[in-house]
Amino acid sequence: MIPAQFDYQVPQSLEEAIRLLAQDPDSIKVLAGGHSLIPAMKLRLAQPQLLVDIGRIKSLSYIKEEGDQILIGATTTHYELESSELLKSICPLLPACAKSIGDVQVRNKGTIGGSLAHSDPAGDWPAAALALNAEMVIVGPGLERVVKAADFFVDLLTTDLKPGEILREIRIKKPTGRFCHAYQKVPHPASGFAVVGVAVNLVLNGAGDCEAATIGITGVGTKAYRANGVETALTGRALDAATIEVAAEHACDGVDANSDLYASSEYRCQLARVHTRRAIEAAVATR
Amino acid sequence: MKVEGVQHIDAPRAKVYQLLVDPVGLSRFIPGCEQLERTGDNTFAATLKAGVGSIKGTFKSTVKLEDLRPNEHFRMVVDGKGAPGFVKGSGDLDLSDEDVGTSVKYSGDIQVGGTIASVGQRMIQATAKMMAVQFFTSLERDAKPSGDTSSAPPPNFFRRALSWISGWLREFFRKR
Amino acid sequence: MADKYVGRRVKRTEDPRLIKGLAHYVDDIKLPDTLHVAFVRSIYAHARINNVDVSEALNVPGVVAVYTGKDVADKVGPVPCASALPDLKVPDHRVLAKDKVYFVGHPIAAVVATDRYAARDAVDLVMVDYDDLPAVVDVEQAAAGSTVIHESFGDNIAYKMSSGEGDIEAALSSADKVIKQRILHRRLAPIAMEPRGVLARYYPGEEELTVWSSTQIPHLLRTQLALMIGIPENKLRVITPEVGGGFGSKLNVYPEEALLGWISMQLGKPVKWIETRRENIQATIHGRGQVGDIEIACKNDGTLLGLRYNVIADLGAYHQLLTPAIPTLTGLMLSGAYKIPAIQINITACFTNKMATDAYRGAGRPEATYVVERALDLVAAELGVDPAEVRRKNFPAANEFPFHTATGLDYDSGDYEAALNKAQQIVDYKTLREEQKRLRAEGRLIGVGVSTYVEICALGPSQAMPAGGWESATVRIEPTGKVTILTGASPHGQGQETSFAQIAADELGVDLNDVTVIHGDTGVVQYGIGTFGSRATAVGGTAVLVAIQKLKAKASKIAAHILQTDATRLSFEGGKYSLEKAAASAAGASEPVVPVGEAPAAALPEPETNGRTSLTIQEIALAAHLAKELPPDTEPGLSATYFFEPKNFTFPFGTHIVVVEVDRETGDIKFLRYVAVDDCGKVINPMLVDGQLHGGICQSIGQAMYEEVVYDEQGQLVSGTLMDYALPRASHVPNFELDRTETPSPVNPLGIKGVGEAGTIGATPAIVGAIVDALSPFGVKHLDMPIKPETIWKAINTSH
Repeated sequence: MIPAQFDYQVPQSLEEAIRLLAQDPDSIKVLAGGHSLIPAMKLRLAQPQLLVDIGRIKSLSYIKEEGDQILIGATTTHYELESSELLKSICPLLPACAKSIGDVQVRNKGTIGGSLAHSDPAGDWPAAALALNAEMVIVGPGLERVVKAADFFVDLLTTDLKPGEILREIRIKKPTGRFCHAYQKVPHPASGFAVVGVAVNLVLNGAGDCEAATIGITGVGTKAYRANGVETALTGRALDAATIEVAAEHACDGVDANSDLYASSEYRCQLARVHTRRAIEAAVATR
Repeated sequence: MKVEGVQHIDAPRAKVYQLLVDPVGLSRFIPGCEQLERTGDNTFAATLKAGVGSIKGTFKSTVKLEDLRPNEHFRMVVDGKGAPGFVKGSGDLDLSDEDVGTSVKYSGDIQVGGTIASVGQRMIQATAKMMAVQFFTSLERDAKPSGDTSSAPPPNFFRRALSWISGWLREFFRKR
Repeated sequence: MADKYVGRRVKRTEDPRLIKGLAHYVDDIKLPDTLHVAFVRSIYAHARINNVDVSEALNVPGVVAVYTGKDVADKVGPVPCASALPDLKVPDHRVLAKDKVYFVGHPIAAVVATDRYAARDAVDLVMVDYDDLPAVVDVEQAAAGSTVIHESFGDNIAYKMSSGEGDIEAALSSADKVIKQRILHRRLAPIAMEPRGVLARYYPGEEELTVWSSTQIPHLLRTQLALMIGIPENKLRVITPEVGGGFGSKLNVYPEEALLGWISMQLGKPVKWIETRRENIQATIHGRGQVGDIEIACKNDGTLLGLRYNVIADLGAYHQLLTPAIPTLTGLMLSGAYKIPAIQINITACFTNKMATDAYRGAGRPEATYVVERALDLVAAELGVDPAEVRRKNFPAANEFPFHTATGLDYDSGDYEAALNKAQQIVDYKTLREEQKRLRAEGRLIGVGVSTYVEICALGPSQAMPAGGWESATVRIEPTGKVTILTGASPHGQGQETSFAQIAADELGVDLNDVTVIHGDTGVVQYGIGTFGSRATAVGGTAVLVAIQKLKAKASKIAAHILQTDATRLSFEGGKYSLEKAAASAAGASEPVVPVGEAPAAALPEPETNGRTSLTIQEIALAAHLAKELPPDTEPGLSATYFFEPKNFTFPFGTHIVVVEVDRETGDIKFLRYVAVDDCGKVINPMLVDGQLHGGICQSIGQAMYEEVVYDEQGQLVSGTLMDYALPRASHVPNFELDRTETPSPVNPLGIKGVGEAGTIGATPAIVGAIVDALSPFGVKHLDMPIKPETIWKAINTSH
């Protein structure tokens, strides 16, 4: 468990980080909390020449409201998200998701930006980002662009980030109206990663019917995805038990589910359906 | 580990076959192939820089094409070794005509050993699937008459691969 | 003097240094100029090695040497196997592979460099040219033997053995019912928190080699390493500093230990190797690994008539120290806690292309208990009676001990029904079963599992042990009155620094803090056997007790001499020898004793006996060292050594009752209750006993629900990290409701039975029993461990 040799630099600003990265985007990796990259390096499955540690750039760690948006700095730790009183009151899905990640040590060190940029197929944040229609603010040499979560997750461990780019901020539109959130997860008993994770974001109308539903599911496929079938089956309906149950049956529609030592693809889909139903029920129960 | 599937390629069968058994073509389809040299009849030495995301390894490989039946069938045998372990695989590819284009049926068996086998358990199958997709996406890109023939994959190459698959899935479910 | 220490929940004296991070494990020992070793290990399960090219590795800056199998083949002797079974095939197990590799993780070359990083970098540059061969992974296919692993043997069968007493054929043919079941005991990785580690230092001038190793058996290791390396045993010192858990995995002699010693001798410098977790999972022994078929014969009233267990044991590619012996321990314990007139085990032990199996907490006995307890559950299900009642019906009564089993053992003492009754009372068994019925009617899947186990501990009489079954102790009282205990047992987390001090403090009437227990250094401690098989306290603690008694016999003579009386007229209490009343007044009237000779060193106060009627043990110790007023023909000093040889094993027992609820949609298992009533004989420190049970039950939960070392069809170890190999965590285990009965063992004067493995032996069948019981509405009779949620989900959805 000894990594290959690498250099390490601590930029003072994001601009400096981008400049460092531009030297050789292929062999330089950005380090934030290090909870995905360092294990891969210790196994020598990743052998970057240089680590650019953005985890020490203080200005990249924040949770704030701005207009109708919530802005989260990329190096904000899971624990900071879990314990944010602001988020608990205005966007409870984020703390709920954060709380389910790893253990205390992991949450103290790991960052939301690192997790999203790594796009582990069993990471928790991609599900929440999809359910909240988050936007990723990406900086590269001389440019900044904004990518919707739905376009950000491209494939297994692959995002829309180009070599040389850094995820700077996550933007979420403040939930309004009668919304309700829930995150349900089956943690892998060894890794704590999501065998299945379901993030639910519902907006109800005055009658309590579902006005809009956005649901992100992680752990099932090669990347997190929006459960469109479930969303469609909920939207415009009264959220009674039967409707929820029928809707949840669509949790794995069109997904080629992963299979590993812990769960076959068939069982994974079963878990996804059950926990989608339970997550919707849990969300509705908070209203 | 078994990898199998059927892939539709929007090009005539003869062209698809010719691209598949041609070293230049192969070097472009095999994900991460950096170098491919002929070392004998239908035998090639290749350097593959394979992996996903930040997880990457370099594999010195041999690629053999066997059991060649032009425009119908061949068998590809890959044997790669590198610091992260080894990858051995063989697969049969069967081509047949469709109303438009060609259907490629593939069925293979992949063995991995070393670090990647002992630590990559939860992602190996997904990686294999993803590489199969990459292989066929590149093939289709080249096979299409108007295909982009530059050697580097276009920047949004993965997204294209994906939209292609989701399109196919949409078709599939619409037919049901 | 306060209350006695024995029997109290005395806090572990080991803990402050462990909790503060101040303890010294092998890796914490830093010697100047230490070189570091990293291993090149096979990535194939079975392959021929054509060539090992080290030239590129040697070019890495910092690399000092690279040794291959060819370099050491005739320099370092084979890795030892201590099991002497008739007709056992023993492969030549060298410290580095030479011509063939036999399992993933098999060491091929050792790279030595000035730091760990250079060594590890160079490992990637050692080019091994392999021709891979078909791997033998499935143990039943190994037995069939289409591919032979060790070619010279002709097949893959290491040995076959049958044992047992009684007429099993008659029992099976005359029974009302014969129930059959195939069961699997999957391979487990012991996963000690501290992986293995070795530091070796050779002094060429003194020709002395010191090996620090994370081991459970320093003395046995020294003997074996001396033979392997070819150094006189008295020029070799083995030190086990702090050891972060072993669970049997460090009850062994490993290639790396010998090789490091040898390399240090070649290079004349200290060399260190610390195992990585991946190496730990690949190349430290595994536990369990059996495929078995049970046949149990009974009458319609539940009386057991016979048990047959045909088992194929997966030994792995080589024998480690006790590999072949483990399945035979299964055979010994097949009678469980029951009267079974006929028992037979037929073992076929096979080589496979995997790491060796060996002793993992319980070592063959958890398999036996699991077989018997599953069999009893199957009988109960078949006859439609409560599983607790089938058990009760077949217990030997408390007055039937010593109880002879059809496996050839004589159980020392027991009251199995008392433990069962107590556990049933704690869990309120009758109400529980009614509640279960009611909830089941509501569609909830509640299960109750019962295990009434017996285990074999305090290993053991030397006749039954490969390398002696005694244990040693030296007790010494220093001139300043401090008590030093040297124990041959080598505790590594069990807490004997505390419990042995409790025994000594009580026996000597001294403060616990005045007792220091020293262990794990062959340069300091007399020869010993080690800690395993729940033996350290029952055997090693007894040695401490008897050594103290020897020491006190001498102390009382010295006391009598100084107090000018007869030893028989002295009483010992509160750490003092006192004249009995009548004698005291007589002594007071007599002439004071005048010490003769020169004055002692200033730091040591002279004993004052003027007019004294009592002497503390510390005063006697000083007198014994000053040696100015010893009785004639008395050796100076105050120490005694005793080697205790037990006459029999001990047989702890108990009842575990588990209540679970299964989620029918997901197969998730939730523990509702965990009640354990264990009887480990007399208890020295209840907190240590509870701790042993907590840890053991946790590992049982791991085995029952999570853990499995998985090799794929090509023999690749695919559960290779703790990201995939699931150890139970605090959040996976329920609150344990522990209680005890106390049946002293007649085998040792402390009445101790042992408790180190009770948790891993008693718990798994209760957990599996509870899960199967929860699923009984679906017709489920048995599920193999680890029972994962998916297993349950499938069982529910396929059995309608």
